[in-house]
Amino acid sequence: MAPNKIAILYGSETGNTEDFAKILSYKLQRLHYPHTLSTIGDFNPQDILGVRYLFVLCATTGQGELPRNCHEHSFLDKKNKTLWSVLKRKNIPEDFLKHINVAFFGLGDSSYPKFNYAIRKLHTRIVGQLGANEIFDRLEADEQSMAGSNKGTGAGVESVYFEYEKRVLEYLMTKFPKRKVNGQSMERNAIDDSIYLQPKSYLCLADKEDDSEEADVIVNEPLKFSNDAAIKYGKVIKNLGITAKDHFQDVREFIFTNNDTNIKDQYEAGDTASIFPCNSDTSVQQFLETQDHWLPMADKPLKFTNDVPNALKSGGVIEPLTLRNILKYHCDITCIPRTSFFMKIWMFATDVSRMERGEGQLEQQRDKLKEFATDQDMQELYDYCNRPRRSILEVIEDFLSLRLPWEYCLDYLPLIKPLYYSISSGPNDSNVQLTVAIVKYKTMLRKIRTGICTDYIGHLKEGDIIRYNIHNNHLIQDQYKGNPMVLVSPGVGIAPLLSIIKEEPQLSKNLQLFFGCRFKDKDYIYGETLERWDKEGRITLHPVFSRDRENSPDTKYVQDVLWKLGSFVTDLLVKEKALFVLCGASGKMPIQVRLTVIEMLKKWGGFETDEAAAAYLKEMEKEDRYLQETW
Amino acid sequence: MSTAKIGLLLIHPAVTTTPELVQDIKEGSDARGIKFVDQYLVNKVNDSSIKLKQSNYDVIHYLTPEKADAILFPKKLIPVLQASMKADGILYGLSDVYKVDALINGFEVVSDSDDLYHWVNKATATKPVSKLVSLKSNTSSNSTNSLPSFKKNNGSGALPSFKKLPTFKKQNESPKVVKLADDNDELDDVLEEDEEEEAVFSDFSKTQFFEDMEDDDSIEEDNLISEKGQNNVITMITCGKTKTSRKKACKDCSCGIKEEEEQEIDNIRSQQEKVVQFTEDELTEIDFTIEGKKVGGCGSCSLGDAFRCSGCPYLGLPAFKPGEKINLTSISDDL
Repeated sequence: MAPNKIAILYGSETGNTEDFAKILSYKLQRLHYPHTLSTIGDFNPQDILGVRYLFVLCATTGQGELPRNCHEHSFLDKKNKTLWSVLKRKNIPEDFLKHINVAFFGLGDSSYPKFNYAIRKLHTRIVGQLGANEIFDRLEADEQSMAGSNKGTGAGVESVYFEYEKRVLEYLMTKFPKRKVNGQSMERNAIDDSIYLQPKSYLCLADKEDDSEEADVIVNEPLKFSNDAAIKYGKVIKNLGITAKDHFQDVREFIFTNNDTNIKDQYEAGDTASIFPCNSDTSVQQFLETQDHWLPMADKPLKFTNDVPNALKSGGVIEPLTLRNILKYHCDITCIPRTSFFMKIWMFATDVSRMERGEGQLEQQRDKLKEFATDQDMQELYDYCNRPRRSILEVIEDFLSLRLPWEYCLDYLPLIKPLYYSISSGPNDSNVQLTVAIVKYKTMLRKIRTGICTDYIGHLKEGDIIRYNIHNNHLIQDQYKGNPMVLVSPGVGIAPLLSIIKEEPQLSKNLQLFFGCRFKDKDYIYGETLERWDKEGRITLHPVFSRDRENSPDTKYVQDVLWKLGSFVTDLLVKEKALFVLCGASGKMPIQVRLTVIEMLKKWGGFETDEAAAAYLKEMEKEDRYLQETW
Repeated sequence: MSTAKIGLLLIHPAVTTTPELVQDIKEGSDARGIKFVDQYLVNKVNDSSIKLKQSNYDVIHYLTPEKADAILFPKKLIPVLQASMKADGILYGLSDVYKVDALINGFEVVSDSDDLYHWVNKATATKPVSKLVSLKSNTSSNSTNSLPSFKKNNGSGALPSFKKLPTFKKQNESPKVVKLADDNDELDDVLEEDEEEEAVFSDFSKTQFFEDMEDDDSIEEDNLISEKGQNNVITMITCGKTKTSRKKACKDCSCGIKEEEEQEIDNIRSQQEKVVQFTEDELTEIDFTIEGKKVGGCGSCSLGDAFRCSGCPYLGLPAFKPGEKINLTSISDDL
């Protein structure tokens, strides 16, 4: 089949942009526009030649980079070309995308200096250098709601998105006011909101002829995952809390190995492992009970009416395919629902039999769900779901009028995504070690909030099998190996730095580690190891404890220690071309460290003005000598 | 000069930062015998928030800071401008980048006169079929040169012999499900045939770039960001809603919002403490229709958070049936 002429391509890190892309796709579906919806990474590069109308939505991650799903395929081998890798080729002609009309929507956060850089990069390349025609000026939304497109209006990112959507639809409606079905032209009328749009491929019973209810229930068949060429299986060999029991944060040293292939030398210092979590049996059962008509089906073998949807393939498709397994391994039923979820399910609020107060209550629930689905302001949805971090499961338990069709569950339930962790072991290790913070926090909801992945990892035991993948980040350039290294990490940021320190042969004879945490006796993770390395001369350790006056009398944060040793550190950076690596939580820490380094350069580095010092730091960044991995 | 020519000054949004350019044009207009009666931002015309009168102007001057060979102009506006011009009206400010569009829309391109480079509107009653008018309705000789936004009304050109709506659109009983007709749905394509042919031809030469090549160098992503330049032009939204008030504490908040949030959570949770202390007997006796009982008179307490009043003591607890014991055993409370 010829590729679609309309394509919505997105790059998303947290899922916000993905949801906007899905909303746009849904609106196009309702207006009968055939189109492709894909991440930039999964889009078949050559199909771009057939695209005439391109809508690009992209978030910005890390240091102004494109999200991972722009430059990586989600289920093919990582060596496969992506659209972005093709477009970045130096030798492609200037008219390469001349056939394309394009409109961009960027989602950024102006508290980061490289605000909306990803969409700007895409814009420059696609329009500025490869000749695509821009339909209207790019829109840039700001999570901080104060700058960018919505500067000063206090309007949220959704108002920027809906402006984008309005323009896209106006453009298409002007260009294609009619539709053609089997050669016949007809008016392009939107399909009514209350009609559910069936996906191209959905679930059905695998064996319809067989009437014997008991026989086709699958019991204890071993689980398998298919369709992901890149997925690997690991065996857990350690999952140990390394913070004090009474400390508020539970950090785990998590080690797994691969029995089939040798992991040794499969990754470099600074690389990342992704882990595919699954839901607990309890949550799955709870979900099934809210949809009690699913229960008799839960363990029967299913199949797809058409092909296996691509979106499902990342991490592999579960076999045997049953509702229970699908809910457990594919559907993120404990995530916070987004607008697109409500768009797809509100019309199924039809079950009056479970309404204590009859029709009136049914109407009330239906109206409320519809409001969540369609209100462009999104405030109600935010207050009900995002603020208290309410899960889909909890929403469905609150709205018992929902009688969901199981056949389409993979269409309306969001899919489980892997989570990414920096590798803490050295490349020469035959195991992979991660340092995982188990996230738990309270909101107004009675039940304590946990993330699916940390919930999953929190409960893994020795011998359990996990699905994982390794992602190469090429953090440290060869030319800097051997140079002194200034490694800075508050808290769990130590993870990738450990990998740098452990690499054999040693990456550098001069490793300065600045480690910060709250208390020496509570969250000084890997403290003993670090001190041993310090004694052995592998590293020079500079620990600092922010809430521990006794052990850290005159300094609180890593930047305080950097400043204290300013002359020495600045010499390393300027005279000896040291590599500076900063890892840890995003927010104010990286900004303060950066300001400290600039002040150091001024005071000790021979740079007279702020501008000169900042310019030197920028130069370091450009040379990949000032590295920052924050999350 | 007896009467001045009626002019429209069309402005690129980036020009608003250099008002002197606009001033220059205006000051020079007398000498050119033009009176600019209207002045619009091009994006306002483009998004149809300003509609141009038909056959109204003698002169349109488009003012943009872009270089002539790098002008980016919405193609769909070209017929709109054409329609707003009198016969032999003159359009300044576009370039040969849009020469094809100029010709398609009935302009004559004049580049070798003493005057500035310009286009002359030669389209009169028999304007060539606009690219934009749906080509399938082949009799669109509508002399008013319909604006794109009018096209819905332009039903005269539409095929009269509509089939009935396809049967799959019939609304079923709930839950309503419709099958997508994607496979049959085609775009009513506006690409003209030779253009399509050209595209196919160039596609062919482009396919090589998807293969492995010896010269596999990539550009530096960082070089795609320029401090100044085209990257700065974005669509500003100036009239967003203000209902949204979503202050959120940063991860390492130090301004007090985090404390406020925690205080709010603590308040709600201490409210919860009160209501979950009920004994089973007490709970079964709760009558939601009687005021003064341990639930509010609003009757919404049992319905779930989406329907509860703000300040409801049940906020944060699951929906429940009146009289039913709230099952908190499944709700672990340890951090």
